[in-house]
Amino acid sequence: MKKRASIVDYYYESMYPELEVLEQDRLVIVSKLKKAAFFLFCFAIIVYLLLHQNFHMEFLEAFMLSFGSAFMLFMFVYRHESAGYSMLFKDHVIEKIIHFLDPSLMYHKHRYLLENVYQKSELFIEAYDRYRGSDLVEGFIEGVGVQFCDLHVETKYRTKNGKEEWKDIFSGLFFVADFNKHFQTNVVVLPDHAERILGIVGSWLQSMNIGRGKLIKLDDALFEKYFVVYGEDPIESHYILTHALMEKIVQLRQKSGKNLYLSFVDSKIYIAIEYNKALFEPILWKSLLKFSYIKEYVELLSMLIGIVKHFKLDEKLWSKR
Amino acid sequence: MQTFFIVLGVMLLIVVFMYNSLISKTNQVENIFAGLDAVLKKRYDLLPNLIASVKEYMVHERETLEKITALRTQALQTNLHSHEKIALDKELSSMLGGLMVAVENYPTLKANENFLHLQGTLHEIEEQISAARRAYNQSVTDYNNAIEMFPSNVMAGFMKLRRKEVFNIPSQERQNVDVKNLFQK
Repeated sequence: MKKRASIVDYYYESMYPELEVLEQDRLVIVSKLKKAAFFLFCFAIIVYLLLHQNFHMEFLEAFMLSFGSAFMLFMFVYRHESAGYSMLFKDHVIEKIIHFLDPSLMYHKHRYLLENVYQKSELFIEAYDRYRGSDLVEGFIEGVGVQFCDLHVETKYRTKNGKEEWKDIFSGLFFVADFNKHFQTNVVVLPDHAERILGIVGSWLQSMNIGRGKLIKLDDALFEKYFVVYGEDPIESHYILTHALMEKIVQLRQKSGKNLYLSFVDSKIYIAIEYNKALFEPILWKSLLKFSYIKEYVELLSMLIGIVKHFKLDEKLWSKR
Repeated sequence: MQTFFIVLGVMLLIVVFMYNSLISKTNQVENIFAGLDAVLKKRYDLLPNLIASVKEYMVHERETLEKITALRTQALQTNLHSHEKIALDKELSSMLGGLMVAVENYPTLKANENFLHLQGTLHEIEEQISAARRAYNQSVTDYNNAIEMFPSNVMAGFMKLRRKEVFNIPSQERQNVDVKNLFQK
């Protein structure tokens, strides 16, 4: 992994001149949005007064209607104005960082992992109605085939009032790579919520999970605290989840601070890291000319690209070489 | 009277649940031990080839090689108890570990393609054995907990279930395995 000092150098030497131009675009958009916000705020006050005084509407109704519509209009303007900037940001920031970290990797801002990859992972077995994503990165890291992207999978449901709403099944980063061992059966590692909250009862409930395989208990207390493991064969599950790998998984969980889902299917490792925001989108209010802002993207991408080395996926066993 | 039958029914259910749970744990231990036995057999099958390919080079390790052959013959006997198999595996693992360290003193052997292949296969089987030992220990721990904890220990007493022995996991297996080092010597 490249050192922090070289990333800072790269930022100032290669990215900064282009970012200065992009920063001008950002400032123009922010200025437009500020004007739009001011105009829409005034518009909302006028509408509110009209509704409240001329049409004798209740305070709450008039307020909701006027400020609600102003907010909707602002969001429309925001999306319209920021769309082009977002694409430029991905070209000038995200792609550049990826190529700095590993020049052999390919970045496709509009593409994402195919649905069959998501399904094959067996990480989320719930039925879904909408599958979207972006920012696919793919290639070989130390000879290991890797793909990852931002993914958003949702299901549709009806509320008690009959209103249709969307619920997240998964939102975050989805990573897939070749695993360094051969195995025949599947192993799924999920965040352990039940045992942490309910103790022995939680563990018993987990063993009753008919949608998954057998509950596998492992000999690492910290790993067991964070995760619950399901597999078809206890020996093969232990073969995949060595002490070293469990330690690395715990480290990744602690480093990311997010819910982590892993599965081992067909000699591949699938990792899903739960985030509740689009990860490669720009924050319009933050200046591109501050390294601390860009650093957040560098750290995230370094962590993802570093998974191969972190899990030692490049150190293949004899039969896989 | 109705309450009595409800209580009796619940108690009967608990007894059935405990009995089934103990049987399931016993079977789990046996199944995993069978899996472990299969991997151990894979290693025993590999040993004649390994010994044949190293014996002409490792002239100073003849005694170790003879001991390994003797242990293999002993291990392949069909009437062994699980604790005897565990003891034999422990001894054989330690001897093989020593042999692989001794290989460092024989540069011509280290360059032999056939030996390198066998060494690679052996390391892979060792990884599988290590996994099987850990899985076995986990299932034995679950089983031992169940037969010693109240109230299932009462049922276990009636079923004449006895504590089972676990493998001692060698300390080097608990450390991070440097696979690269293992295979790129």
